[in-house]
Amino acid sequence: MSITNLINDWSRYRKGAEEGGFHEYEHQWAMVVDLNKCIGCNACSVACYAENNLPVVGETRFAKNQGMHWMRVERFWDEPDLQPYVATASNSLDAWIEGNPPAPRSALKPSNPAPIAEGMLERDGKGFNEQFGFHGTKSEYQDFGGSFLPMMCQQCHSATCEPVCPVAATYHTPDGLNAQVYNRCIGSRYCSNNCPYRLRFFNFWSYYEDAWPEPLHMQLNPDLTVRDKGVMEKCTFCVHRIRVVKDEARMENRKVKDGEFATACVQSCPTSALVFGDKMDPDSQVAKLWNAHQVKQGPYKQTKENKELRGYRILEGLNTDPSVMYLERVREV
Amino acid sequence: MSGNGVNRRDFLKILGWSGVGVAVAGCDRPTTVTLEEGKEEVVAYLQPEEYVIPGVGVWFASTCQQCAAGCGVHGRVREGRVLKMEGNPDSSINYGKLCQMGQAGLQGHYNPDRIKKPLLRKGGSLTEVTWEEALGALEQKVGAASGLAGDRFAWFTGTVSGHQSVLLSAHLAALGSQHHFVHEVINNAVGRAVNLDMLGEAMPRYRLDEAKVILSFGSDFLGAGISPVYFSTAYAKFRTGSPRGVLIQVEPKMTLTGGNADLWVPIRPGTEGAFALGIANQLLKQGVDAAGVPENIRALIASHDAEKVASITGSSADRLARIATLLKERSPSLVLAGASVEGHAHGYSAAAAVMMLNMLLGNVGKTIVAGGSSPFPQMEAKMGGTRDLIAFADAADKKNLDVVFFYGANPVYTAPSHLGLTEKLKNIPFKVAFSNFPDETALSADLVLPVLSPYEDWGTHMGIYQPEQKVVSIQQPLMEPLYPNKGFGDLLLAFLKMRKVKEYESFTDYYSYLKNAFTALPATVKGGALTNDEFWGKTLQKGLLEVPTVVGTLKPRLVEINLPEYKEDAQRPFHLVPSGRLGLWDGRHANLPWLQEAPDQISKIVWTSWAEIHPATAARLGVEQGDFLRITSDQGALEAQVYIHKGIHIDAIAVPMGQGHEEYGRYAKGRGVNPLKIISPGADARTGELALYGTRVTAAAAGRREFLVKLSSNETQLGRKMVATVTADVFNRAEPKTIT
Repeated sequence: MSITNLINDWSRYRKGAEEGGFHEYEHQWAMVVDLNKCIGCNACSVACYAENNLPVVGETRFAKNQGMHWMRVERFWDEPDLQPYVATASNSLDAWIEGNPPAPRSALKPSNPAPIAEGMLERDGKGFNEQFGFHGTKSEYQDFGGSFLPMMCQQCHSATCEPVCPVAATYHTPDGLNAQVYNRCIGSRYCSNNCPYRLRFFNFWSYYEDAWPEPLHMQLNPDLTVRDKGVMEKCTFCVHRIRVVKDEARMENRKVKDGEFATACVQSCPTSALVFGDKMDPDSQVAKLWNAHQVKQGPYKQTKENKELRGYRILEGLNTDPSVMYLERVREV
Repeated sequence: MSGNGVNRRDFLKILGWSGVGVAVAGCDRPTTVTLEEGKEEVVAYLQPEEYVIPGVGVWFASTCQQCAAGCGVHGRVREGRVLKMEGNPDSSINYGKLCQMGQAGLQGHYNPDRIKKPLLRKGGSLTEVTWEEALGALEQKVGAASGLAGDRFAWFTGTVSGHQSVLLSAHLAALGSQHHFVHEVINNAVGRAVNLDMLGEAMPRYRLDEAKVILSFGSDFLGAGISPVYFSTAYAKFRTGSPRGVLIQVEPKMTLTGGNADLWVPIRPGTEGAFALGIANQLLKQGVDAAGVPENIRALIASHDAEKVASITGSSADRLARIATLLKERSPSLVLAGASVEGHAHGYSAAAAVMMLNMLLGNVGKTIVAGGSSPFPQMEAKMGGTRDLIAFADAADKKNLDVVFFYGANPVYTAPSHLGLTEKLKNIPFKVAFSNFPDETALSADLVLPVLSPYEDWGTHMGIYQPEQKVVSIQQPLMEPLYPNKGFGDLLLAFLKMRKVKEYESFTDYYSYLKNAFTALPATVKGGALTNDEFWGKTLQKGLLEVPTVVGTLKPRLVEINLPEYKEDAQRPFHLVPSGRLGLWDGRHANLPWLQEAPDQISKIVWTSWAEIHPATAARLGVEQGDFLRITSDQGALEAQVYIHKGIHIDAIAVPMGQGHEEYGRYAKGRGVNPLKIISPGADARTGELALYGTRVTAAAAGRREFLVKLSSNETQLGRKMVATVTADVFNRAEPKTIT
């Protein structure tokens, strides 16, 4: 190895966002989550438990945020008076990215719960649109239902977790996956501190001791390990399923076909709100959706021709370059 | 391998190495065969059996039994163990998809609390016995020599279908008993009665995919409904249509379906019928043709003007008019009624008022069409409700029963206290529970027969809701039994042989009975000239058999609607809403740790019970999140932690079903509360179904607080773009149409 090789290799990887990032992937496994279809039913989450040997941690550990749900479904009410925090121009994350930091956390704490105003529970007879406007609504009921959000590792292409690992246990694969090498991990937890999505899960305990009492352990999937105490873990995009189809394709001397397999969550989704595939394959459903919604890998801010298209990536302003595109929730007003 | 079970090799001999042998050959138990035992030859994996490739999973088709929907499934079998369930793409119920309950069924199969041997009550306590002793004791009580006959014997089951149902009916006939009590807490029994009277078909086909607007009165079709996955797939089509369908949900407590509504309308519990009449009133005002409506119903509709309905229901007159306009303008629509409408003393009338809207809007024939019937009515699902629970408690009270068999139901847990079932069961001298788990009913039985799990046993099923294509779905073993117990079908055959030796002696086991039943089918059903074995093998491979469906026509007609005046109750100002959950369901899945740790979709709470209340109610009661609330009805009290959100009517307190088990293994026992226990007496006047939503309660702070264990402490997005929302206008205008 010469210094020239090193510099060449290094500059191959070091492509800025303006150049579209690293180009030489073999595959770019990506996902689309259509929030118009997602009903928040949790099938994806339990399918993930079944597929990936996720331990059930129990009530007390769950209370300490030690739940090991690689795939979780968040539910937001987005009603400011439960927790009186209203996003304003000056304290939103967008403002923060533009250089104006949000107000300190303590300022977000609920002040005294707002007293029930006289007549709050009466109707004012206003029109449909006026009365039931969107965010920051004064309405006393949850008029537009909940906002469900399936969250799994976003497989960022400039992942915040990767550069901070002191032992390179988390790294980027040529498939565009953000991989975690369990037996290299020393449990520094820097990566989870750095993940803005809170999607890395640490084994604070040896869960195998009590999570699978006999014969529950017989369900464990032999295609992947059971992780022990002191190791960080996260969604892998079912990398063991990817391995199988890649091997099969190679033996048959062909490319991996779109729809040949899916991750456990995508496979189970009753409304097909989740779509998985290889974004490098221009004929894949995933690639078509990304293109149709004019969302590009690379930039931290999307410049869409048609601003009304629904595709967006969560917290992409942080320049994490996620591989998961969400399609905005839709409501009739 | 234990001596008294069916040995694997013998088992395969019975099966004759046919297509089925293929299925079972993948099911070895290498870990349990040791040299020391010396009972079986140890074969190295270098010479694997046919179809066992070490490290490669093989998928086999079967049927999910986590609820009565009967979704088709594929189970992944590797090295003799079943590891993962996925939907069967050939199934017209679930189209390859599966809900969380279906995923978690494996944890019932591998549950550490499974009963391993039969239990017989000896000297007051249940003692492990051999199958010989258990069946001996059973033959004494129900065999030919026992003299038991007629209605002194009863079966008490959950929903049953397929050949198990056929044999079960035959068993009842052999004993001369009419008593088959079928009990489901989460049911649509009132809705079926309404449909039968008003449409001529109990379960018509609802075309969600054709509807432009759905107005749902508490119908949780995406969650705790009759077929969650079927309706979820249809919902996806409804939401991606052009234009996108609009969902309006009217209910006291936000269900999963309500959480997905474009407009969620809170309503005072029990006033849904008035709301429906109010919509009808508005529709007539807006010029909808009411030619076929008889005078008395027209007068009833006329009396429900917007202001009156607004004051009854706690909604607004303006909103009523707007919903009516939307329904009229965007045709066809679909109006549905669910548990919170049906669960009242006037549930039938309220559901009938809702169904009338479909007729006024001309939806019958468009979004409500005939579902058809199969040529095998004896195999279609026997669906239950809560009326049979009342009848059963009554029969037990009157000492009318000598022997009762429980299967697929846990009435000791689900029965409200006012039925006094625990006491009344003592009047039945011999109770047999076919149960894998030490649940409340099993532990109060005199004999517990642990049947094989759904992943070890043979069977056939017909899902309760098959509106598109009638199918008989196959359940086949995905692995060898964990414990040497007996299959439910085999037991049914054994019981029949106790009474009708000649008719059933030719069937060595349930498997041969099933194979015989399938190969005896006419060629029209089999579809093509196949040998018996080819046909059987093909059917097992596919996991289901599509049978000819006869589609009839709906005959709409109106029925009497009698809605009582809504009355406040000063003493008990709140309504109790015992909501069903997609997850723990009616409590049957509380022993599955994945589902205990899967957050409730609305509250995001895990592992316990809670009481949902509105922020205004919380302020009125002086409680905050995590405080225990004491909820008292005329039947008793319970305490649960408060969860505050705006998806509930201010007069309602919702306590979900599922927890509060006194038994049922380590994951369920002693966790949370069971709201069914404090339900007040009362039943629907027309159908006799329990009025589950008709209970009035008081509530007061219990004076203690604990940390409320839930996913995510944030209820809001803190101004970040996590879930962004656009209007349907934008969606209809800009959505790329080329992508499916």
